[in-house]
Amino acid sequence: MSALDQIGELLRLVPVQRAGIGLVLAALGLPVVGVVIVGLDIMPVRFAMMHVALLGIAVGELLGVDPVLCALLACAAAGAGVAPLARTPEALSGAMGLLMSLAIAAALLVLALSGVNANGAFALLWGSILAVRPSDLVVLGTLAVAVPALFVWRRRDLALLLHDRELAVCSGVPAQRLTMLLLVLVAVAVAGAIRLTGALLVDALTLLPALAARRLGRSLGAITLWAMGIGVLVNATGFLIALGWDLPPGPVLVLAAGAVALVAHLLPERGASSWRVLDAASHGGAPH
Amino acid sequence: MVALVPGVRIRVAGRWNRTGDRSDYCRVELSSKQPGQVATRSPDSEGGLALRLRDVVCRHGRLAAVGGVDLDVAAGQRVALTGTNGSGKTTLLRAVLGLHRQVDGEILVGGRGSRSAAEWAWRRRACAWIPQRPAAGRFPLLAHELLRSSGDGGQALSAAERLGVGALVDRPLSSLSGGQLQRVHLARAVGCVAAGAGVVLADEPTAALDFAGQEEAAELLTGLPVTLLVVTHDRAMAARCDRVLEMAAGRLREVG
Repeated sequence: MSALDQIGELLRLVPVQRAGIGLVLAALGLPVVGVVIVGLDIMPVRFAMMHVALLGIAVGELLGVDPVLCALLACAAAGAGVAPLARTPEALSGAMGLLMSLAIAAALLVLALSGVNANGAFALLWGSILAVRPSDLVVLGTLAVAVPALFVWRRRDLALLLHDRELAVCSGVPAQRLTMLLLVLVAVAVAGAIRLTGALLVDALTLLPALAARRLGRSLGAITLWAMGIGVLVNATGFLIALGWDLPPGPVLVLAAGAVALVAHLLPERGASSWRVLDAASHGGAPH
Repeated sequence: MVALVPGVRIRVAGRWNRTGDRSDYCRVELSSKQPGQVATRSPDSEGGLALRLRDVVCRHGRLAAVGGVDLDVAAGQRVALTGTNGSGKTTLLRAVLGLHRQVDGEILVGGRGSRSAAEWAWRRRACAWIPQRPAAGRFPLLAHELLRSSGDGGQALSAAERLGVGALVDRPLSSLSGGQLQRVHLARAVGCVAAGAGVVLADEPTAALDFAGQEEAAELLTGLPVTLLVVTHDRAMAARCDRVLEMAAGRLREVG
């Protein structure tokens, strides 16, 4: 059976169809979340949110409440909780590390108190794109609409905030509220994506398209569109390769997204043409 | 209509009511008949907001960068703030905008304090800021996006044309030289004034400019119908101001 025949055969299966739709939906919303992560310089957010989610699961187990819901709520609260530290970029990045340490310590303590096995709690975090349920598609679809919509609605404020917080504050941007909204969105999206697609795929869906787009776009709008385009292209291609050659989708998608990010970094940066050339053009004189 | 230079009209349009308080804000409208002309003011023109600082202390941790500063600047007055590096000039300017957090004492702009978020929002609309060594930023921003953040993108773009950076407005700020970036910030300040700002707080606005650019920037800033507080080491800029103050070790004194 050729690879194409195999893809055709597998795409007739409902779980595979759901996985494909899930990936496309995720590729529309999550790369935009990745743009925020890159813009706020909070790369360790995935690790922080994994540990906070574990704490939420532990609390859920202890209280007898839905652990996954508790995990999402814990992540949202953590995102809102670190927002006041966002006044300087360094503070936010450091806060993620602190959050990670505190959350894992608290989670292990709560798990010990509730008598739940830590591995069992971790297993709740680990999803797979091939096990996506219809309700998960609703979550991914909501993110696919809500995140780009926020970017269209507040694009000027977001561009200023991600460029320079103080300038944004002095331009009347509600920086504190907007940062909190972004951090809650990032926290919930990352935690939800881990649950839906597995921890490894989160990088392929969020960070890697955003990192590639950061090199290719010259403005927030352009970067966002690049990130979404790369996300859809990489995920569709990677998924079809995984189906055609019977490979696990997670690693294939991460490698495909990583390859695009690497190529983007090897390309000369757009918009980085020397200011001397610009200066000469604008003044019609020699560079100074 | 209070001031005219060829092709440029500056009009005090009346009390401006963006916060419901009509008592202390004048909207100044700049309109240019000649594209690219930047508004200036005549000596008898009025405009701007009074600035009052009482016993202002700003700390960096335990260190008092500004110690007990008292200052009254009348509406429309142009004040140069000079002094050695590290004497607290930038910190003082940032304190007015609420960008420095450890501040004691009283700062009033147009008679208004800053106790609530709404008052801070008003303060930041009322004060245009030209930052010291404007950063290229963490994330790309196009020059025209910066100009539009002034509140009056049209006037800011016209000023950018006049300042020789009109052709660069579609470029990311990170691709501009220090001088070009400073010119874009000057143009943004003009947009802020057109949008209603009554005070310009400029922090070494000519530091990255060539000699001709320094003259041009000094003429532009001192010609705006606003209260001007400018941190500068540029003698030409200081000479154009009504008052020259000197800061040393966080203290302020009048020198001219």
